This record gives sequence, structure tokens and C-alpha cells, in this order.
Amino acid sequence: MRRTATKPRATASVDEVSLRLRAIAVTGAVGLAFLAVGGQLVRLAAVNSGVTLQSNISETVAHSFSRPDLVDRNGRLFATDVENPSLFADPGVIIDRDEVVEKLTQVLPGLNARELRRDLSDRSKRFVWIKRQIAPNLAQKVHDLGLPGVSFRTELKRAYPLSRLAGHVLGAVNVDNKGVSGMERYLDDSGSVEAVHGATLSERAPVRLSIDIGVQHSLTEELQDATKRYKAEAATGVVMDVTTGEVLASASLPEPDPRSGSAADTQQTDRITGGTYELGSIFKMLTVAESLDEGVSTLDTIYDVRQPMVEGRFTIKDLHPMGRPASVRDIFLHSSNVGAAMIALKSGGDKQKAFLTKLGLLDQGRTEAGPIAQPQVPKRWERIEQITIAYGHGVAVAPLQFAAAAAALVNGGELVKPTFLRGRSEAKKTRVISADTSRQINELMRLNVTDPAGTGKRAEVPGYRVGGKTGTAEMAGVGGYEKKSVISSFVAAFPMEKPQYVVMVMLFKPQATDETKNEITAGHNAAPTAGRIIARVAPLLGVMPEPVQAAATGVPGQAN
Amino acid sequence: MRFITSTSVFLALASAFLLYGLNYDTRQLEARVQQEELAVAQARSDIAVLKAERAHLTRPERIEPLARAQGLAAATDKQFARDIPIVVGAVNN
Repeated sequence: MRRTATKPRATASVDEVSLRLRAIAVTGAVGLAFLAVGGQLVRLAAVNSGVTLQSNISETVAHSFSRPDLVDRNGRLFATDVENPSLFADPGVIIDRDEVVEKLTQVLPGLNARELRRDLSDRSKRFVWIKRQIAPNLAQKVHDLGLPGVSFRTELKRAYPLSRLAGHVLGAVNVDNKGVSGMERYLDDSGSVEAVHGATLSERAPVRLSIDIGVQHSLTEELQDATKRYKAEAATGVVMDVTTGEVLASASLPEPDPRSGSAADTQQTDRITGGTYELGSIFKMLTVAESLDEGVSTLDTIYDVRQPMVEGRFTIKDLHPMGRPASVRDIFLHSSNVGAAMIALKSGGDKQKAFLTKLGLLDQGRTEAGPIAQPQVPKRWERIEQITIAYGHGVAVAPLQFAAAAAALVNGGELVKPTFLRGRSEAKKTRVISADTSRQINELMRLNVTDPAGTGKRAEVPGYRVGGKTGTAEMAGVGGYEKKSVISSFVAAFPMEKPQYVVMVMLFKPQATDETKNEITAGHNAAPTAGRIIARVAPLLGVMPEPVQAAATGVPGQAN
Repeated sequence: MRFITSTSVFLALASAFLLYGLNYDTRQLEARVQQEELAVAQARSDIAVLKAERAHLTRPERIEPLARAQGLAAATDKQFARDIPIVVGAVNN
């Protein structure tokens, strides 16, 4: 037994050694593996602390629009997107609906409890907006309520840090951050707005408007001041670069708040682009320009304006009849209706209509912010229409369109297209009147401010060589024109030896006050307003003033 | 033969372990990238808010009364350097 056992034992010991070795190797390998796994776990635990993997909730319901910033011509911010919390609920997860409704309506008083209860009752829905874009402090309060099934999503909200300034030009966006009017809608139409999930800020370059914040503010303030001074119902003004057509400022009071996002009421419509008005005597600029350009009259052609003009059942009179035959120059300075009518009749209706068409005043215009209001043009263009249009009644146009036409008359005779973007003007220019005619118009406009008899003398600003034309148009009311309700306007340009900017001011229904010597004519309200605007914006625009002594040949002390 | 087998087993184990490690490293990197992206988004959002706040604080409506309280006024034609001698002359007249 022992002997027999020896041999196998010897072989067994060899086997045993190899088995043991093998066991050690396996144990070692397994041990190593455990060590490695353990080590890795320790490493992960040590390194990974603080890193949380964000789970991406699929956002199928909410999408908003990310918009580039709007900045003014110098890069100052007009509108930007900021992140804002919005409150939503998952009705499937809500436990106590009544509790949720009760607590939420306590924190958010604007909430409609009935609607909310109805929205939350449908448990098949997984997503219901409760209130979008709420203030961060309210969001914190709702968060503190700790209601299950109620949570937040960050959305983009348009912020207008300058509040109402240039509200008409900027327009507005809706709750999805999509532009609904003004330049905000232009952003959508031009494809610079992207649909995004959640709150992704736009990476596009800001869109540069032609508006200058400083000029816009000055214009708005002076118009506000003018509405108080002259007790006007509304006021509008526009400042335009005469060579490029860029609008540096455009204000229509009362102004809307872009943050409200709702359609403005009728008082707040943008009268600059959205309304058409019979502008009155400022149209005489066009009448005279047409006559001069066609060679029908010169500045010295004499017209007999002594008698009122009778045409059918109408009698055209002058406010302050001159009582003597007058030259074209005098007709312009005294703003004679009879004279303007005679000038227009001499060149004829076809030329008058062609001239207005050439200036784009009879067709609907367009800016980036949308179409300009369609001009109102008489169906028939006969003698009486020729006469009334000569002094600005019978054709109603939007102020912006008239400002562009005035810019064309003073800039040397080239047509400009009004624009709200900087540096987008077309290089190709269309000539509408000769440079010589333009120079003569400039001369007349300047004379109208410097001459003691001129209607625009109260617009003078020392050093800035202002020129302009007044217009006092009776507003069309029920059954004819209303004598006491007028739109008084002033279209000015400066500096007159080579105009750079056109300023147009309109006051709606100004009242006679002591300051205006009980007058409601434009020379007493719109002209001084334009003067004050120019005095403020000209230094901002970098227009070099002329030495004061040389400019003092005008009417000293009239500009205030 | 046995040597080859044991070596290949060892290599297989080693590469498995290596891959396992790499996998986790990658995930960690991903997490870090996400974290950085989050920080970038947060910073961008902060910038947007600060930009809006700056524009709000420098709005002319607010600056104007402050400036006027300091005795400043709107720029006039007299502030152009070219005119100073003439203006002085005008005052003397």
C-alpha cells in the first residue's frame, strides 16, 4: 500500500505543485482584477465628485426664437434677448390639483383659476403652460412652494432697455419672441432669427439701425416739450440724412411701449409711416421746384396774386394777402396759396402729376420696417385738383415719404429711399431735378428763415444755417375742413449751403397760446420746434457751425 | 503553447482593462465638456443681462437729469474749438 502509494504520491506532488501554482495565479489574477476595479471605482468617486450629467429632456412642445441684438448706428444697444423663466405643469404628475391652483393663484395674482383648473384636469396632457416669462423673484416664490408636477423652463425674452425710445421703429415681438412689427419683424423676414429649443442666445452679429440714440432722444424730448407748449394732441418728427435716406431719428408721440407686445391703439399709431396727411403749404416746395425745373418760371417771374382765385364754387384766399403782384420768391416767402395755384396752373396738371410721381409721392413706399401708408391721390386730376395740390391739399402722403422727397430736393436733386438700416443705401442714384434747381430751392428755404418776412424765421439757429418751409393744413373733418384743427408742419434742412440733414416736424391740433401770439400757424409752433431740435441735434451730428458773427445777418434773437 | 495562451489571456485582460479605463476617461471628458459648455452658456446669459442693464442705466432718459443736475447742458455750436475766439469777440461786442 505504502509502496504502491509512493509513486502516485510523487506524481501527485508534481500535480499538486502545478495545481497550487495555478490556483495562486488565478487567485492573483482575480485579486488584481478586483483591485483594479476597486481602484477605478475609488478614482471615479474621487474625480467625479461634483460632475453631474445633465439629462436632456426632449423639448418637443416649447420652441422660441432667438434674435440678434438691435443696436443704433454707433453700436449702442436697443434690444437684446435675455433668459427668463416660464412656468409649466405636467398634469399627469400633479397630485392635488386644487392645492396647486390655489397656491399658484396666490403667488401669481394675474392667473385665471378657472382656466388653470381646466388645463390641469386633462391628465393625458404632459405639458401645459401656466404662465410664460415671469419675473425671477416670482419664479423663486413658485419654486419655494415645492409643488410636484410644476416646473420651469428658461425661455428667451426680448428686453428693451431704453423702454419707449424709438418704439415705433423697433416694433414688437410676441410671447414666442417672434417679431410682429417694425424692425423686429424685419429681423424675422430677413432670416436672421432662428427657431431654438429652450433658451439659446443668438450668435449672430447685431443688426445696426440707422437711428442715433442721442438724436432720437433729443427729438423725442423736444417733441414732448412742443406738445406741452402748444397744447398739441400729438407730434411727430423725423431726422433724415439727405444723401443716404438713413433715418437718424423718427418719433411719433404718444409712443408705444415695445415691451407690451400688443397692437398699439389708434392714438399711438406711427404717424411717420402709418398715416397719410394733407400736409399743406410745405407742398409749395414741390410746386415751386417743379416750375423752376421745367423752366416754366424763374425765381423772379411775377404772378398777380392781388385777387383771391375763384374756381367753380371754391375761392382760394391767402391768409395774409400781399396786395401786390409777387415774384416766385415772394410767393414762397409769404406762402401764398393763390400764387402757388397760379404757378401750378402755368405748368399744367400733367407736369404736376409727373413730378409728384417722379418723387415717389403718389405710389406706396416701403422701408425695411414694412410698407408705408398708401398715399391718397384724387381720382380726377383737373383744374381744381391742380390748384389744391399746389398748396398741399388733395394729396395725402405719409410724412416719411414727404421727408424723403424734401431730401431729394435739397441734396442736389437725387432721389433717396428712406431706410432704417445703416450703410444700406443704393449707390445708383436717380436724378429728379437739376442741381441748379436744387440750389435755388435751398436758397429759397434759407431765405424763408433769414428774411424778416419769411414764415420760417423762428426756426433760425445761430451758426447752423437752417432753411425751411412752413405748412399749416386744416384737418379734414365731418363735412369739410375744420378751421381750428390744423396740422402745422415745418420741413427744414441744414446747413443750407450744402444740406446734410432734413428735419421734419408736425404738430397735430396745436392750440393758440400767448407764446404763439394767439396763432396756430406753423411759423409760430412747428418752426421754433424744428429750430430747437436742430440746435440740439446738430452738435451731436457733428455739423460744423459757421462763425456766429457771419450767421448773425439773419434775425437775431428769434430762435429760442 | 502554454506560454502563448497565458500571454494572450493576459493581453486580453489587459486590453479589456485598458478599454474599460479609456471608456470611463472619455465619459469623464464628455462630462467636463458639458460642464464647460454650461458655464459658457451661463456666462453668455450673464453677459446678455449685463449688457441690457448697462444700456438701461445709460439710457438718455436717465442720464439727462443726472447730467443737468451736475450743471451740464446739451452741446451747443459754441463748443466747437474753431469758434472760440469769435464767440469771445461776439461777447465783447
